[in-house]
Amino acid sequence: MRGALHAEWTKLRTVPSTWWLLFAVSALTWALGAVTTGTVSTDQCPSPDECHEDTVKLSLTGIWLGQAAVAAFGVLAMSSEYGTGTIHSTLTAVPGRGRVLAAKATVVTGATLAAGTVAVLGSLLVGRLILPGNGFSSTPLSLSEGPALRAAVGTVLYLGLIAQLSLGVAAVVRDTAGAITTVLGLLYALPALVELVGDEKWQERIHEWAPASAGLAVQATKNLEGLPIGPWSGLAVMGAWAGAGLLAGATVFKLRDA
Amino acid sequence: MTAPTITPYRSELPPARDGFPQLLHAEWTKLRTVRRWSLTLLAGVVITVLVSLLSAFSGSSSVSGDRSAPPVGPHGGVVSDSFPFVHQPLSGDGSITARVSPLTGREGRAPEPWAKAGLVIKESTKAGSPYAAVMITPGHGVRLQSDFTHDTAGGTVDRDRPHWLRLTRSGDEFTAYESADGSTWAKAGTTRVAGLPETVQAGLFVATPEETMVQRQFGSTSVGGRPARVTAAFAHVTVDGGQGAWPQDTVGGGVGGGLKGTPDSATEKSGTWTLTGSGDVAPYTPDVDIAQQSLAGAQIGLIPLVALGVLFITAEYRRGMILTTLTASPRRGRVLVAKAVVLAGVTFVAGLVGATLSFLLSEPELRDRMPNPLFHPDVALTDAPVLRAVVGTAVLLAAVAVLALALGAILRNTAVAVTLMVVALVLPLVLLSGLPLDAAQWVMRLTPLAGFAVQRTLPDYEHVDAVCMPENGCYPQGPWEGLSVLCAWAVVLLGVAVWRLRRRDA
Repeated sequence: MRGALHAEWTKLRTVPSTWWLLFAVSALTWALGAVTTGTVSTDQCPSPDECHEDTVKLSLTGIWLGQAAVAAFGVLAMSSEYGTGTIHSTLTAVPGRGRVLAAKATVVTGATLAAGTVAVLGSLLVGRLILPGNGFSSTPLSLSEGPALRAAVGTVLYLGLIAQLSLGVAAVVRDTAGAITTVLGLLYALPALVELVGDEKWQERIHEWAPASAGLAVQATKNLEGLPIGPWSGLAVMGAWAGAGLLAGATVFKLRDA
Repeated sequence: MTAPTITPYRSELPPARDGFPQLLHAEWTKLRTVRRWSLTLLAGVVITVLVSLLSAFSGSSSVSGDRSAPPVGPHGGVVSDSFPFVHQPLSGDGSITARVSPLTGREGRAPEPWAKAGLVIKESTKAGSPYAAVMITPGHGVRLQSDFTHDTAGGTVDRDRPHWLRLTRSGDEFTAYESADGSTWAKAGTTRVAGLPETVQAGLFVATPEETMVQRQFGSTSVGGRPARVTAAFAHVTVDGGQGAWPQDTVGGGVGGGLKGTPDSATEKSGTWTLTGSGDVAPYTPDVDIAQQSLAGAQIGLIPLVALGVLFITAEYRRGMILTTLTASPRRGRVLVAKAVVLAGVTFVAGLVGATLSFLLSEPELRDRMPNPLFHPDVALTDAPVLRAVVGTAVLLAAVAVLALALGAILRNTAVAVTLMVVALVLPLVLLSGLPLDAAQWVMRLTPLAGFAVQRTLPDYEHVDAVCMPENGCYPQGPWEGLSVLCAWAVVLLGVAVWRLRRRDA
């Protein structure tokens, strides 16, 4: 297993696109976070102190953009092997297919968690710097508070799960375009449906079952009773999606010729 | 010994085989023969229709509720027509003059900018009947309006001082005059009202749109409306050609029954009439655009078309096919243009099928589930705004596919191109409601998303303040304006792609 891990890490490390994509995870997350925290204002509230805006969630909005880079990263880790034919050498060197996929999942998740940590901490720092200028001075962002820490850790874990889901889907679909379209459809089109359906019951159902909207419930730090799904159970739904994706990928990977 | 003569090989194919039609044929063959691409195209149509159906059949249906028919104006659309009307019959040509005091809202509130007080000549006291009216408004000066949809701006009004108004009839033509002091008069405008009888009703009116309250905070929006009420006084009222008595009526029944304060009324004291009213005289604009909503599936159905557009060029690089393509047709710009033409044609047809089916299947259901369907125009596919929305949706999907092709040609990377396109077109649906109004409207104006404005079918009247929220699918620009922004994106990026293709080795 150590050999397999080392091989996967070498493959990942020596492709320039890996570093570009991991950089994009942070850069995109920070950029959107800066836009949302920079444009929000306390005008709507009776007074700045009574503005019960969820500042932690607001600062972490950038994940909606950053997760696209994570998805591309997870998909490419698998599909580019098929595109270039490296998969043959990989399976010749490590014939245990379960081991190959496990090693890939470990390396990709590890890299994503590292990049995600940078992205999340950076976003919170951006929020901490920008928000007081917009009138949200009473509640500086701090990781010492329980809910804020849960939101930060949960968001990093969420990104790791996105990478696993993408890897699993890519193992099933094998083709880059098909896999990335499927993953982006799950991540963006499902939550977008909430805006398109009119019925509240349906909106709630989609919120509870779509990977992105359920998983990002972990970012909420205020008004938790009003959420369609709780923070940790939401992340569990995302975990179920990732698990199902990896399981399907592993099954197909074992049963099918490369 | 003589060397044997060798006849050099000559192709027996007729010359001039590398024209543009041949290029189109080549690209069409490529597109047609990859089975996955045909399935992707089909997926685009199916997803468009399914999402539209989901959005139609998941809407809350209200079984109960008032289903009485609303008044319909001379233009055939639903109108609001409710005001206290102090009037007298006017036979043939004539005029009405009065000095109108500034409007005051109920219980000391500021009146709505489009509250109205003035003079009206109307066919009868029936709601929805043709009319011409000149009025002062708190926010928009003197206006001459007729038959609900026509509006002409006159001069400005001093907010604190009374203003003189006059409306004259000459056959079908109505002319409005205004004056600050009652002696020097200026013309405010003329309008035609067709089909009026010889004897009409000339009189005084006040009206006001509802007060709207918009609460918009991160992730949640609430728009509320409640009837408003305004009061104005009319002095020195004279009717040239009138018949003396002043019957009082309320056109269309009042709307402000539940409001506190002075009820809707008209009282006279030593020649000065004081009118208080709560209804409005304006075209009715529903807050939901049903035809637009029936086409909502295109916002998701574009995802497979984006993938198809990107693959149409990146697959050539991956398979090395681009070398054959460019050998067969060394003029590279034309290759990309041919690709764009074929792709646009195919996705346009697919989009047209998807949009037509979406409209036909979802629209009746959506309308039926409205609280009172009669308030929503009963539209058919052949109506001009609907036709524009349906064909516009097909054009918009074709433009999105071409944009994806151009991006794929520039980046030569399937994953990045697909991701960029999907994020740019679908993520705003999730996030726009969270951005402040200004930022959200700029996104809708300038990004490729602007193209979706073409799906809007309800007319915008300048003299009606409509609440325009991004999350309700209301775009700040007109339908054609929005579509041309998207097409400009596609054309510019295609130009960049052609330039890059020429400059760089394949």
